[in-house]
Amino acid sequence: MLFTDLANSGSSPALEQLLRFAGARQRLLAHNVANMDTPDFRPMDVSPSTFQSSLRRAITERRGATGGERGTLAPLDSEEIGTDSRDSMVLVPKTPSPGVLYHDRNNRDLERQMQALSENGLTYRVAADLLRRNHELLRTAISQRV
Amino acid sequence: MYGLLDISTSGMIAQRARLTAVSANLANRHSTGPDGTPYRARHVMLAPGDPTASSEEGRGWGVHVADVEIDQRPFNMRWDPTHPLALKEGPQRGYVRESNINPLVEQVNAVQASRAYEANAAAAEAGKQMIAQALRLLS
Repeated sequence: MLFTDLANSGSSPALEQLLRFAGARQRLLAHNVANMDTPDFRPMDVSPSTFQSSLRRAITERRGATGGERGTLAPLDSEEIGTDSRDSMVLVPKTPSPGVLYHDRNNRDLERQMQALSENGLTYRVAADLLRRNHELLRTAISQRV
Repeated sequence: MYGLLDISTSGMIAQRARLTAVSANLANRHSTGPDGTPYRARHVMLAPGDPTASSEEGRGWGVHVADVEIDQRPFNMRWDPTHPLALKEGPQRGYVRESNINPLVEQVNAVQASRAYEANAAAAEAGKQMIAQALRLLS
């Protein structure tokens, strides 16, 4: 009980969700890049803004329920985001790519995929760094060296 | 997270297969078979998914070479009645059949394949950095 309360303190649940989302999205983007030249392939993505709004809703709900510093986040209610049996995040890509359709019926857009890749990597880095900062705070408190 | 590198690797393998086919086509532009039939261009067909993945879920990701098709377009014809391989009869008598490879198309394909290879390598690099970030959570 104590450990789950510690792990869910402050911004850790929201950061964990962000980390999971960025990690799962990276696989989608790598899949799109690998199929850049495959005929009949349509690159699909998940919308980060949809994720942000469902995360915002979950955070507001948590703030209303426990004041914002404690408690878990409710599961995100987006049609693109689900969880599997092992409780890890599963993305169902439904956002099509807006690129031009080429003759091989593939609407590739290398620039957009590369932009998404780098933004996703940065997001992951931000979430990981902030989460590490949270853990360091806990470690400082545990070691009684304030 | 570790399936991430599998996807980018499958992309790199597929693009290298394309580049190999292009090199083979360019190298065999003037080759003929034992019966005088010229070399037909080889084209690599890609399809999504990776049948060599170890898990059922992993088989849906990535890309693989579905087929290597032999181009069935008609051969190019060159007028040379003194050539030993010139056709002896028929409406194309006196013409020599040449391979149906277009070197310009092949060179553009080679450029495309190497750019796609670079893109996949960049995606793999991004994935590796993310994994390193995740590992730093421990320290």
